[in-house]
Amino acid sequence: MSHADQAGAHELDRHQTDLAPGEEYGEEDIGKGIRGYLIGLALAVLLTLCSFAIVHTKVVWAPAVPVAILIFAIAQMGVHLVFFLHITTGPDNTNNVMALAFGVLFVVLVVGGSVWIMSNMNANMMPAMPHAAMPNSATPHQPMTQPMQH
Amino acid sequence: MLGKLTLEAIPLHQPIPLIAGAVVVAIVLGVIAWIVLAGHLPYLWREWITSVDHKRVGVMYCLLALVMLIRGFSDAILMRSQHAFAYRAAGYLPPEHYDQIFSAHGVIMIFFGAMPFMIGLMNFAVPLQLGVRDVAFPTLNSVSFWLTASGALLVNASLVVGEFARTGWWPAPPLSEMTYSPGVGVDYYLWAIQISGVGTLMTGINFVTTILKMRAPGMSYLRMPMFCWTALAASLLIVAAFPILTATLAMLSLDRYLGFHFFTDSHGGNSMMFMNLFWAWGHPEVYILALPAYGVFSEVISTFSGKPLFAYRSMVLATMSICLLSFTVWLHHFFTMGPGGDVNGVFAITSMIIAVPTGVKIFDWLFTMYGGRVRLTSAMLWSLGFMVTFVVGGATGVLLAIPPADFVLHNSMFLVAHFHNVMVSAVLFAAFAGYTYWFPKAFGFRLDEWWGKAAFWFGITGFVIVFGAFYWLGLLGMTRRMQHYDVADWRPWILVSAFGIVVMIAGVACTIIQLVVSIRRREELRDVTGDPWDGRSLEWATASPPPVFNFAALPEVHGEEAYWAIKSRAREQLRLREEPDYAPIEMPLNSATGFICAFFATLIGFAMIWYIWWLAAAGLVGAFLTFVVFAWRDTVEYEIPASEVAKVNRANRTTRLEALQGIGQRRAA
Repeated sequence: MSHADQAGAHELDRHQTDLAPGEEYGEEDIGKGIRGYLIGLALAVLLTLCSFAIVHTKVVWAPAVPVAILIFAIAQMGVHLVFFLHITTGPDNTNNVMALAFGVLFVVLVVGGSVWIMSNMNANMMPAMPHAAMPNSATPHQPMTQPMQH
Repeated sequence: MLGKLTLEAIPLHQPIPLIAGAVVVAIVLGVIAWIVLAGHLPYLWREWITSVDHKRVGVMYCLLALVMLIRGFSDAILMRSQHAFAYRAAGYLPPEHYDQIFSAHGVIMIFFGAMPFMIGLMNFAVPLQLGVRDVAFPTLNSVSFWLTASGALLVNASLVVGEFARTGWWPAPPLSEMTYSPGVGVDYYLWAIQISGVGTLMTGINFVTTILKMRAPGMSYLRMPMFCWTALAASLLIVAAFPILTATLAMLSLDRYLGFHFFTDSHGGNSMMFMNLFWAWGHPEVYILALPAYGVFSEVISTFSGKPLFAYRSMVLATMSICLLSFTVWLHHFFTMGPGGDVNGVFAITSMIIAVPTGVKIFDWLFTMYGGRVRLTSAMLWSLGFMVTFVVGGATGVLLAIPPADFVLHNSMFLVAHFHNVMVSAVLFAAFAGYTYWFPKAFGFRLDEWWGKAAFWFGITGFVIVFGAFYWLGLLGMTRRMQHYDVADWRPWILVSAFGIVVMIAGVACTIIQLVVSIRRREELRDVTGDPWDGRSLEWATASPPPVFNFAALPEVHGEEAYWAIKSRAREQLRLREEPDYAPIEMPLNSATGFICAFFATLIGFAMIWYIWWLAAAGLVGAFLTFVVFAWRDTVEYEIPASEVAKVNRANRTTRLEALQGIGQRRAA
């Protein structure tokens, strides 16, 4: 059997042991599974409470609160992925990790790109609103033109 | 009771749509009457309509695409002839009708011509090339097809009942909002695209799963044929991009139906956001169409050059780079809409970069032919024609990617020429190359070559004339979507493009004649071995047409070009592979779920368009009940006994052995 053949056979094995998100190994002991969910629940609740706490107390410097909430939100996603969706770095999870990375990449591209494009266009194209505080804006007061594009 | 629907909806006062609609309705009713009276209905129901076989679904997709391509082409004929008459005159199409025609042309060609054709080829070829028996979710596949057909039906219904959108193929707000488009045209657009979009999304999920999880033993990723790679990339793009379209059109529907203000430009709405989101789907969509097309060309060029694909791994890398980069260029569709220089600059650079992997592909195809024994069959001619014309389209694309040039050329006929240049030469030529290439596999006989070549030469000549004239008209300053014009300089070039469309009509006629002639001469054109082109990938390892289970035993793959390796060994030793141990095969049962779901989806769409709320609710309940019935089914599969498998496979082995002995005798002589 050549090297390439072995690689092919290995590839096949990997596929047969591939797990979908949420799929459990059949033989896993139930107590361990429940413990995992309970740890996840505790962490998720803790993160939620922290988010509420920093808004209602003065532990965090006020302008930094949105950043802190963002960080808690990202940590929350991590907890969900690890404890509830069982995304791991194991070989049986390559497809799931790839799918997650793919999804995150495209969401970042589309959402980030849209925010950037729209803020840029609003600055260039929007007629100055009565309430808009743009003291140094050179935007002329012109009616919005009908866009032309391909 | 019937919402907005009254007799007024039927265009009795407009002769052109009325006559066209009457002819279409008469043809459809005639075909249905013939099917019923000749007793073909049970066969059609059993073997095609309820079939979940990927090959049958693929053929139905291609058939739908062929019919809709003719429908879209007739719109093109109307536009060209209108322009031929509308010099310092009104022409024969009133503006509100002309606007519907160019909108319908774009929608039909993209969503119901190009998409079903590429998805049809994927459906037909990918499982065969992977060496497996079906796609991952066969019934879902049938649902996908019928939902696409439902969308196509709604678009065509707008010809006879009501009107179609007058907004262009992307319904740009605020024009598409209730204030400026109070009719049902935009609603037809929205529901047709939403329903078929659900089908497309499910196809994407189906094919990602199939390609990632279901391959013949030993078929690692880097041993997959190129078409499977491009199908994977296109399916990934479908999964990532189509939800954006669905969400955007859903927001526009909320604006129109419930008075929301997402894109209204009043009460805080922003129409620019529609453009942004639409093209965030729209540019990946270009590659959803183009990538499978590149895959078809890769297969055809490699087969007819008698050589493995040159630099296979660079081709894989180029495909996946395009998959990623296609999500970084969408702003180039609205350079002139107001983004600043920095935003335009970044997207201009990404738009130019995406031409690089495409260029790599062109060189790979050229080097595949280099030193090979090129056979100039009609499938190969389409591929060569693609390479020559596509390079021009790509070059004008790079030109348009430069924002200052785009400011001059945007919305001109130059742009129209550019995107037809790339879409026709990539997607349509690939569709015909793939159609000719896989036809014998699907039906067991080849298409007539003479008429195929005639179709190619008329098609490409007409195409170059029409769009060559368009490039020039764009440089002369003609903008797109004009109903009439009075510039003397444009007149000769518009007549040239009208002549071009006549040449293209000849090409379309040749394609139809080719099919008729081929069916009549099918015994002469019969493909007895299952390998008519001396192919290299696994679809040629089975009979033509393949048995329902595709392969008697799943082939073992030991390298790239799985079938070529098997065939070379057989030719060396002058004997076939060892006969496999035949085992019974389980295949999915037929299901009417797809057809019934689509029936209810059509009801929902039609009812929503005409504000017939009770019918929409009834359709929704019906669709849900169909799902419940399907979910509670008891038997999923049926078994084909081993003896039957053996019988089918031995018949194919006999003809292959005869062909092999023929080679042996020639070698001895």
